[in-house]
Amino acid sequence: MAKFTFTLNGAPATVDIDPSTPLLWVLRDHLGLTGTKFGCGAAQCGACTVHVDGEAVRSCVYTIDSVEGAAVTTIEGLSKDGLHRLQKAWIEHQVPQCGYCQPGFIMAAAALIAQQPKPSDADIEASITNICRCGTYARIKQAIRSAVMP
Amino acid sequence: MLAESQLSRRDVINGLAAGAVVLVAGRLAPTQVFAQAAAAAGTALNAWVAIAPDGIVTLQCAHSEMGQGIMTTFAAIIADELEADWSKCEVVFSPVAPAYRHPVYNWQFTGNAESIRSYHALIRKMGAAAREMLIAAAADRMRVPPSDLAAREGSVRHPGSGRTLGYGELAAAAAGKPVPAEPRVKPESEWRLVGGGRSLPRRDIPAKVEGSAIFGIDVKVPGMVYAAIASAPTLGGKIANVDRASVAGTAGVLAVVPLDYAVAVVAEHYWQARLALEKLKVTWQPGPGGSFDDANLAAMYAAAFASDAGWATAEAHGDAPVTLSSAQRVIEAEYRSPWLSHAPMEPMNATVSVTSDGVTVWAPTQGMQMTQIVLAKVLNVAPEKITVHRTFLGGGFGRRLLADFVAQAALCSKAAGRPVKLIWSREEDIGRDWYRPAFLDHARAALGPDGLPAAIHHRLVAPSILAPVSPVPVEPGTVDGLAVESLVEHPYKIANRRTDYHMLQVPIPTMVLRTTGHGPNNFALESLIDELAHAAGQDPYQYRRRLLAENAAALAVVDRAAALAGWGKAEAGRVHGMAFADCFGSYLCQVAELSVIDGAIKLHKMVSVCDPGRVLDRVNATSLIEGGVVWGLSAALYSAVTFANGHVRERNFDGFRVVTLPDTPELVTDFLQNRPAIGGLGEVGPVCVPAALANAVFAATGRRVRSLPLAREGVFTIYGKTFS
Repeated sequence: MAKFTFTLNGAPATVDIDPSTPLLWVLRDHLGLTGTKFGCGAAQCGACTVHVDGEAVRSCVYTIDSVEGAAVTTIEGLSKDGLHRLQKAWIEHQVPQCGYCQPGFIMAAAALIAQQPKPSDADIEASITNICRCGTYARIKQAIRSAVMP
Repeated sequence: MLAESQLSRRDVINGLAAGAVVLVAGRLAPTQVFAQAAAAAGTALNAWVAIAPDGIVTLQCAHSEMGQGIMTTFAAIIADELEADWSKCEVVFSPVAPAYRHPVYNWQFTGNAESIRSYHALIRKMGAAAREMLIAAAADRMRVPPSDLAAREGSVRHPGSGRTLGYGELAAAAAGKPVPAEPRVKPESEWRLVGGGRSLPRRDIPAKVEGSAIFGIDVKVPGMVYAAIASAPTLGGKIANVDRASVAGTAGVLAVVPLDYAVAVVAEHYWQARLALEKLKVTWQPGPGGSFDDANLAAMYAAAFASDAGWATAEAHGDAPVTLSSAQRVIEAEYRSPWLSHAPMEPMNATVSVTSDGVTVWAPTQGMQMTQIVLAKVLNVAPEKITVHRTFLGGGFGRRLLADFVAQAALCSKAAGRPVKLIWSREEDIGRDWYRPAFLDHARAALGPDGLPAAIHHRLVAPSILAPVSPVPVEPGTVDGLAVESLVEHPYKIANRRTDYHMLQVPIPTMVLRTTGHGPNNFALESLIDELAHAAGQDPYQYRRRLLAENAAALAVVDRAAALAGWGKAEAGRVHGMAFADCFGSYLCQVAELSVIDGAIKLHKMVSVCDPGRVLDRVNATSLIEGGVVWGLSAALYSAVTFANGHVRERNFDGFRVVTLPDTPELVTDFLQNRPAIGGLGEVGPVCVPAALANAVFAATGRRVRSLPLAREGVFTIYGKTFS
């Protein structure tokens, strides 16, 4: 067990925990934020995507000892005031089906448009590598495109 | 058969038979504690509609929401007949109770694209009955005949005087009015919420983009602890010994729970349970499938095909064998679909609290009644002591019809004396699934002088997919009605047709998966039709038109798909492949458009035209077909499970590959509404994709691929050239 301190959605957070614990389970079981999902446990599906210091990371393999002092943002803290423009676009395009993977997609897309405000289709295809079994990819692409339109 | 779970298939079936008669009486107070809209207290007018004094209407959804949008459309059907104000309607998931059972099967589950088509008539009547009772109550209050009154958007109005009474004011009196025996449903022209190209924003979507929607894995109950589980490493393996001392003193560990074929560790936190499970020393007996592999399986399929025994005839019209024996021209081909895992994005999980007072379940389940019955048997508790709450489901695809994972959680709770949330790893989820089995169809067709098939004879070898989810036993040597779907009762006019089926017995748990028998059999039939068209020197679209000439609704579907795709007019370098299906009460025609770039295929477009009789929600229906196309592409291009040394090789998404964003083509989707009855949509979208794609591959390359997935036959997309 060891103590780790970081910033979570803008507020300080401290946990006393086994250093090998993935950030995913710290968020879900210890800090009560269940919007970040467990899909594969092997950084393959992206359902667990969160931001660490603004970068999209797959929190199922990102251990808590790498988070010390960092700023973590989850789907619950993506927007300070109401919905993020991607979340609005996701509703407008009625993107989710089962919805389980969608927070991960939104977090991956948010990191993309933060770094590339006008991503091309090729940029979207290269950086959104999450898995959706319901097959909502076409609407995800449309929603990202519409969110970055002027 | 292997003891895959503590409940054998037979036990499950017996459990169903025994338990089906003793179920919890219907309770109208909603039991779904996590529906975003908290249920309003109110007066129940029937099992589906309750109305509070403030006019808030609570509508019961009998089904599980797994992305098909059912909680919105199902409730909207009732609300439309009720003439409710949709903005004042709240939707809750119904209890497990007789009122909510499938009207024909007398069984409460969500699957087989049945949720609308099988309940539509019933719930329209229920909405209409409640409306008539509200009107009767208003007639009393206003002292006018009911026929002078009109219900509209949550109130009853007397047009003559302009007087209006809200449903909230009327509900208590309405509940005392006689229940109309034959309530009059609204003519379709007066539908206001469903049909007519309308669409309602789905009720579950905002919570799903905010991250606040509660799936099974998100459930939290007071005192809850966590369990991780590892199954025997080989098929049918069992525990020989569990060394509990190997995890003594490990942080957080509360219990080690041997489950015969698996072992679970319960701990304060999930990751502690995972770490302890890795440390736990277990020795396993290998079991009857201990060294089982793909070669054994191939030999079993070949032996079954060669055997004279074990066959049952699923369909016979005319005399296909005689026609074939005297035919001038016979085309013969063998089509294979692989073993598949369901792999919904939310791994199997359940939260169960077993106490001396009763059992409470919070689970992402499609099999609500199955869950109650299985737990009653496993825990030896009366079904009425078991409350099953269903959460949102992170995908289902059939897998969650079974209750094996809920039973495991229940046994963990019993052992730990605490509420337990059990979560499977993805490796367990893919590696210990109840799989969609491989299908082997050997087809022979006789071409007549007009080039059309004078006879088709299918000989299908496949394990049962229905058995584990059927309320009645499915015996070896008989026909599994789901396994032969699409080979039988298809609308092509062929005078002599026959399908024989051999229910293969395998040491692997098998069950339904989205598309049921239609998926693999449509690949076989529609590849064959394409082959026959080419053999006859005819255009595959026109060939299908000839076979459907007497079926106007089916013709309209293929014609619309051909028109939208620009059949015969593909731009230079591109080709089309077509497939058609009659499945789940709907027609579907899909046309794939692709080109070949450096030896790999680039899928540009998939056109889908579906006739489900009536489209109740246009945007959601489109979503289901679009998503279905992607599901079908995964099955067509990449997905398969294989066996080595008594276990499944693929354990995660690196091995069990599925389509990702770049492989998603342009999706063009349209609907027709010519079929007389309402059909299903949730399972329809993927059905024609593999054949349409394989037929397009043939058009582009001249290579006929008769075995799925394409990647395992060396056909890759430009995004999927590497394959592990």
